[in-house]
Amino acid sequence: MTTDELQGLTVSKSVDARGTACPGPLLAAKKAIGEIKTGEIMEVLSADEGTKKDIPKWAEKKGHEYLGTVEESGFFKIYMRKG
Amino acid sequence: MENKKLCMALFSGSIDKLTGAGVILSGAAADDMDIDIYVLLMGARAFIKGNEKKITELSEYPELKDEFFASLDKLKVSTWVDFFKMAKELTNVKIHICSLAGKMWGGEKMEDFIDLTDDICGIGEYITSAQEADVHLFI
Repeated sequence: MTTDELQGLTVSKSVDARGTACPGPLLAAKKAIGEIKTGEIMEVLSADEGTKKDIPKWAEKKGHEYLGTVEESGFFKIYMRKG
Repeated sequence: MENKKLCMALFSGSIDKLTGAGVILSGAAADDMDIDIYVLLMGARAFIKGNEKKITELSEYPELKDEFFASLDKLKVSTWVDFFKMAKELTNVKIHICSLAGKMWGGEKMEDFIDLTDDICGIGEYITSAQEADVHLFI
């Protein structure tokens, strides 16, 4: 998906994990995905470089669809659809 | 699909290794692994009720203690107990204290150990768990 498409998604859950280092964002994502329904979209905000590869890989492994990552200034947003 | 299993031998009771163990547990919990933790010799000291917040020794670079704690604080890293608690909330984690290790530090009964503890066990159980695990770690 393009950045514009990602930005235009209707997000059911937004997790701001910018205040924590690894493994904080991964744990936050794991907890939050349980709060949305299959097919709904979650975004995770993180400023931790390790998270950038970790969360997409975790999402796919757990049967969710990784949609893409949007770079912002000093952090990034990871999008996924719950599977 | 059956969950993968992690067996961790937690021999160490210093704050650096307990914190590292906590980070690994978080990753395993996020991955829905079933986790067996066997608390061995030096590790058991940290699980004695009242000791969990008093553990401040570093196994490695003991002279850098101040820097270590300042970094944990700055990066908002959870305490080792909170990492273990979180893992328990997220997945099936069982914490077993080796009976000899417990006795070494004055812990003989369940009530002598912090609430996260599930049971007191013998070493045979650890070996069996390690044999059956997909991932085995000695920390």
